[in-house]
Amino acid sequence: MTSIAGFCQFSYWYPDSSRPALDQLTLELEEGMTLLEGESGSGKSTLLRCLNGLVPHFYGGRAGGTAVVLGRDLRRQSPRSLADRVAVVFQEPETQMVMPIVEQEVAFGPANLGLPAPSVRARVQTALAAMEVSHLAGRPVAGISGGERQRVAIAGALAMAPRLLILDEPTSQLDALGAIALTKALEALEGQGVAVLVAEHRAKRLPSARARRVALAKGRLSSSPAPVTWPSRAARSANFGEVAWSSDQLAVGHGDPVLEDISLSCRSGEVVAVTGPNGSGKTTLLRTLAGLIRPISGRVDRRPGRSAYLPQDPGALLHQPTVLREVTQTARWLHLAADPEAMLEQFGIADLAMCDPRDLSTGQRQRVALAAILIGEPEMVFLDEPTRGADQASRRRLLTSIDHLANLGCAVMVATSDEEFAWQVGDSTLVAEERHLTVAARKRP
Amino acid sequence: MNPRALLIWVGAVLLLSLGSEDPVYRVLTLVAAALMLLRARRPGTAVTPALRWVGLAGLMAIGFNFLLSHTGQDVVVALPAWLPAVGGQLTWEGAAYGVDVALGLTACLLAGLTLAVATEPQQLVDALPNSLHRTGAALAATTTLLPRLRSSFLAVREAQSVRGWRPRGPRSWRAVAVPSVLSAIEGSVLLAEAMESRGFGLARRTSVWPTPWTRADKMLAAVTAAAGALFMTAVVLGLVGGWEPYPTLQLPGVDWLPTAGGCLLIVAAFCA
Repeated sequence: MTSIAGFCQFSYWYPDSSRPALDQLTLELEEGMTLLEGESGSGKSTLLRCLNGLVPHFYGGRAGGTAVVLGRDLRRQSPRSLADRVAVVFQEPETQMVMPIVEQEVAFGPANLGLPAPSVRARVQTALAAMEVSHLAGRPVAGISGGERQRVAIAGALAMAPRLLILDEPTSQLDALGAIALTKALEALEGQGVAVLVAEHRAKRLPSARARRVALAKGRLSSSPAPVTWPSRAARSANFGEVAWSSDQLAVGHGDPVLEDISLSCRSGEVVAVTGPNGSGKTTLLRTLAGLIRPISGRVDRRPGRSAYLPQDPGALLHQPTVLREVTQTARWLHLAADPEAMLEQFGIADLAMCDPRDLSTGQRQRVALAAILIGEPEMVFLDEPTRGADQASRRRLLTSIDHLANLGCAVMVATSDEEFAWQVGDSTLVAEERHLTVAARKRP
Repeated sequence: MNPRALLIWVGAVLLLSLGSEDPVYRVLTLVAAALMLLRARRPGTAVTPALRWVGLAGLMAIGFNFLLSHTGQDVVVALPAWLPAVGGQLTWEGAAYGVDVALGLTACLLAGLTLAVATEPQQLVDALPNSLHRTGAALAATTTLLPRLRSSFLAVREAQSVRGWRPRGPRSWRAVAVPSVLSAIEGSVLLAEAMESRGFGLARRTSVWPTPWTRADKMLAAVTAAAGALFMTAVVLGLVGGWEPYPTLQLPGVDWLPTAGGCLLIVAAFCA
């Protein structure tokens, strides 16, 4: 096996940080796939950013030890100079879209390499086909769903034909078909001298059987991922209460309906999970039922009472200087007598209480946002992609929190592309596809 | 429209607006900029809100000069001397100079607005030569900042409202303003990071789907270049003089060469 990248006693400190984000790391990356494991905040994203030179060149801070990619010293090479060898897909692909049209976006990287135009166009077609999004080629980037953007971002990285492909939570917003397309694309890279490093909490969605595994804990290499203490799930109460919200002949969308003819209800204590392919209208439906956008036709009735809403981007909620104050803020606004510290404990972020929420990893931010909206037992809860960036322990905590809310009589709706989570959490699991919503499973009448 | 042709035209507008204080040339440039804005904007692009800001900037330029210059012989009104800054004689000459400044300022702003509404920011990034890759990255980040700010403001206001936030005085808006601004800035930083990672500026960038130079684009570039050349020739020959209304109002001097340059700029707008 050829070594593609290596670290020797490598440490890195972000600016103004006394604790190293990566601590005395010694690691060798070879051809083939390597899975990077570790809890949220363990340093995975920092390590990935190291491998294309963003850390320390873009972020500043201090670094010690040696880090080499394909014979190039990472401490001397800028990210730009590594772009012909290293391609990265970040955790939030929507933030890395540069061009307005999908095919232009995929072509952006190869065009920067100065390749001939016919070669760039051929690469774009191949990469879009590999991620099974050729039909999106002429579509505006702004008009496609989060999952579709993730596929386009991966296609953009594949089009660079890198020797080292770095993927940070590449399936976090992908539906099952998207994950299969990614699996095929990664399998196609096998034997081509490419190293693929993937940080992924749902590794079983990827061709991980032959993958090497590397675990990080607090910025250090660990022999295996930190043991997870699984909170046990409480049994859900047997009976649902009154109808909390219902819809009748509902059509939702922005202009043209993406979903129509939806007659649906959710009772107190019930959890409704909606899953489906990327771009099928899950978020639009959730936001319509939550009263955030008007339906195209039909009606939504909601019982009076407090609603809680988790947007796809948890950053939309975070504005306080500490995690504790962030969670306390909701209680202050709503004049609730709730215990913010208990919420932090519930979501496993008690040790982050005095951290700035915006300094945290995506998964940690998501947990802070959840704690902030769920404090004080709301009566209706609408969660949009709540498992985004969540590690296994966080997913489990989220499940137990939703169980707890349901047992308190809260009506919960979850829109998620994480089908496994939808099946686990939902009393009813619905699938949005081809403009219609169908009931896939109903655990209880 | 080819963004390179438009960039050449914008450069000429800036040259004529800032290259002389003569209001005649500035009026010609303003007319050219307004015509180009009307003709070149993409269908469905709303320009009215931006035009209000441009108008406000022009009015402020006039107001500041009128209220603060206190120079000139033709007095409009005398304000009590104890008034801070504005106290003293307000003159027609001060107002006239303000109008002159406003003409130049609005012409420049209209040219920038035309660039924004006639092209995509990414087209401009593509149009820049490779040596200006850092400018391109900065341009992409800044041009996406305002739209990002708007969309993140709407998303944050919505999310915070459901969470219990209600507008109760200026301080309460912090809960919306802070995450909106931070999200928009974070988004722009991440965009710059993505551009850097994807090799922007590494080599001479391939134009994969180049915007073709149509006959109209070539005409625009040629006429604009001629306008710029005439004006520069006039500058070199010393035919472009400054203009000051002080101490008393006087008509600006006009020479045929820079006037022809200004007129050609108007003709160029009809080529678009």
